[in-house]
Amino acid sequence: MAGSPRLGWLRRTAVVLAVGSGLGIPGLAGPPVARAQSPTLVVQTTAEPPGLDLTATPASATATVVFYNIQEALVKVDAQGRLVPWLAERWHTTDNLNYTFFLKKGVRFHSGREVTAEDVKFVLDRARNPETKHPHARQYEDITTIHVRDPFTVTIALKRTNAMFLYNLARQGSVIYPREAVDQQKSQPIGTGPFMLERWDRGDRIVLKRNPDYHVKGLPKLERVTFRFIPDANAALAALQAGDIDVMAFGLGPESVEVVRRAPNLQIIQGETTSDVILALNNSKKPFSDVRVRRAITHAIDKPEVVKGAMFGLGRVLGSNIDPLNPYFVDMAKAVPHDPARAKQLLTEAGYPNGFEAVLKVTPQYSYTVRTGEVLVGQLAKVGIRVKLEQIEWGQWLDRVYKNADYDMTIIGHAEAWDAGNYANPKYYYRYDSPRFQAVFQESESMLDDKQRRELYVQLQKIMADEAPVVWLYVYPRLVAAKKGVQGIWKDLPTPSLDLSEVGWAK
Amino acid sequence: MRRLILRRAVAFLATLFVVSLLVFTVVRVLPGDPALLIMGTEGSPEAAAALRHAMGLDRPILVQYVEWLGGALRGDLGRSIQYDVGVGRLIVSRLAVTLPLTLLAASFMTLTAVPLGVYAATRQGRAGDYVAMLLSQLGIAIPSFWAGLLLILLFAVRLGWVQAGGFDGWTAGFWPGLRALLLPAFALGVVQAAILTRTTRAAVLEVLRADHVRTARAKGLAERTVTWKHVLRNALLTIVTVVGLQLGALLAGSIVLENVFYLPGLGRLALGAISARDLPVVQGVVLFVAVTVVTLNFVVDVLYTVLDPRIRYE
Repeated sequence: MAGSPRLGWLRRTAVVLAVGSGLGIPGLAGPPVARAQSPTLVVQTTAEPPGLDLTATPASATATVVFYNIQEALVKVDAQGRLVPWLAERWHTTDNLNYTFFLKKGVRFHSGREVTAEDVKFVLDRARNPETKHPHARQYEDITTIHVRDPFTVTIALKRTNAMFLYNLARQGSVIYPREAVDQQKSQPIGTGPFMLERWDRGDRIVLKRNPDYHVKGLPKLERVTFRFIPDANAALAALQAGDIDVMAFGLGPESVEVVRRAPNLQIIQGETTSDVILALNNSKKPFSDVRVRRAITHAIDKPEVVKGAMFGLGRVLGSNIDPLNPYFVDMAKAVPHDPARAKQLLTEAGYPNGFEAVLKVTPQYSYTVRTGEVLVGQLAKVGIRVKLEQIEWGQWLDRVYKNADYDMTIIGHAEAWDAGNYANPKYYYRYDSPRFQAVFQESESMLDDKQRRELYVQLQKIMADEAPVVWLYVYPRLVAAKKGVQGIWKDLPTPSLDLSEVGWAK
Repeated sequence: MRRLILRRAVAFLATLFVVSLLVFTVVRVLPGDPALLIMGTEGSPEAAAALRHAMGLDRPILVQYVEWLGGALRGDLGRSIQYDVGVGRLIVSRLAVTLPLTLLAASFMTLTAVPLGVYAATRQGRAGDYVAMLLSQLGIAIPSFWAGLLLILLFAVRLGWVQAGGFDGWTAGFWPGLRALLLPAFALGVVQAAILTRTTRAAVLEVLRADHVRTARAKGLAERTVTWKHVLRNALLTIVTVVGLQLGALLAGSIVLENVFYLPGLGRLALGAISARDLPVVQGVVLFVAVTVVTLNFVVDVLYTVLDPRIRYE
């Protein structure tokens, strides 16, 4: 859920007002004059990208605009979360160490030049070069050589089998761009996507125009797309109601869903995301280093109540880090049930019969963390854990909590898909160091047999529920508000992108 | 006058130096850095550290300061980390929104508050005075962002007269540009107008009790002449001082309003840059605002001597 922050305090105060006025004065939310339907779309997003180079920033704000719209990869994660061939029309491997990719022919960059195997080699060589400072260089570390066989065939050799290899090639950091345009990626990215960057008015909007030579026939449906950066949720909702924007893609709070639902000219698109909202615990710090205390905290929390209180009932209760969009998902929500008596007993066993005091850091830039925190403070108090809620700014959160693990507890949503590896990394800010988990995870990384890999993932989820390194609370719901007539927006969000290639207006 | 200007110029430069030193230190002492924010939780802290090194942010702070100050003296404020464009260009492009917005709010404020304040003062204790004071009390009590939201709900969502926010630039023409700024300027100006109404009323009341006003009336001058010529002129000294201070407040207030109306102005630039720790932009904007405020104060000082010939600085 990272991205550039917004005016949290303003938002929260204003939300109350907007909801209040929507309820109190029904006419106020009435339909504006519908704009003439043209093949253009104005999309609101909350955060402006910190640069447009997907190989330099992992920010979801950048992926929202660039990934799948301007730039694409060899493989694609589709709307159902499946891996499908994309710039590579097929591939084969006999030993799971040497993968040969056959590029789709006739695919052109926005500059007009055809995509060749040399570009693939350049892109991947650059990604794995430490000098590049690619944010996820480790995803490419198993690659030993990249061999261009002919202009449309490339073989990638790995030093060990890697179950995530194809998936990593479908990630945002693996987009294919022309090797001669590497220096302009930050502000003028060029790719093969359905749209080309027309202009970026810093601080205001990014305008994309249709790529007439797009390699998928009949797409895109829109002539022009404008992304407008409106951090304040109420301002964005008002803009949608007034007809200034067509789609509110991010930032629609669960509290506003009813307002949108009641508006005759608007629709809600509600689905799943890979964003797990967690109560992270500092496993290196007393008393959280004691697994009994961590379990007690999990037992003390009534997750459905949290979703009700903090999310207006929207969001799926979660029991481990594997989200429902993951093919290996097992519902662990009831593995450690809400049981305050058991929580108290565990605390007594751990030597805290009277509970303890702790600080819970939340960040107002993401208002759900504050609301969730407020509910948790009440629930934890019932078993004697006296929690002080501390709000800190996002930049400070990243520095103190994320980088330096200077915290007791914190709440945040982790948007990355396939991020179980964070629990196998003892240096990650959870400071969770479990040899049992690490061993199973390592095995899963090189396990190619799907059935066996699934079993390992089931095992991982059981270990997580058992060792309770953090408390998994709920999956942040995908909530999109759009004008009626807008079609083709993905329901779920299995990958951090806002694919607009198939989006259009109803006839 | 020359010595005044010279003295002011020295103070001006000293202020800027202190401001530059302060802002440079403060943004670096704050926890969090641009590399961490670019990477977010999706990137590893190691990648952030590598990026920080590449940006030169791990060098001694004094080295960075001297480099930046040297550039600033040559008119080069550096390059935005987030936007990859020159800071100077960024500020100028944002002024196309913030300057008209502030001026519009200031005109609205002065043109309503001064007549209303004078009116209230001349009818002290009567119904008109009470109505004016009630209005100004209301204006002070309403937070500007709330006023902004209500205005949006009424004029944009309900009536559809104006857009809910945003600014499409001046290229579409003067009127569309102005229209986009009307609501935010009103919301921005209303609190300051309320304050100015009260100040004007108090200042005018003060002068109304003065001897020369009684003399003017005794001479048989029309009440209107007394009010506008003898009273207001003397009260203006206070009013101009307050307006000068309020211009700074309007500039600061525009940060909030630019967010409510999502206008790409200087305030939003500053706020976004602080959140993203876009250090060159934060430094550039703060320096720019400091220059503006110090200049405004200077203009107010000069205005004093024009308004009141008794004031001599030497």
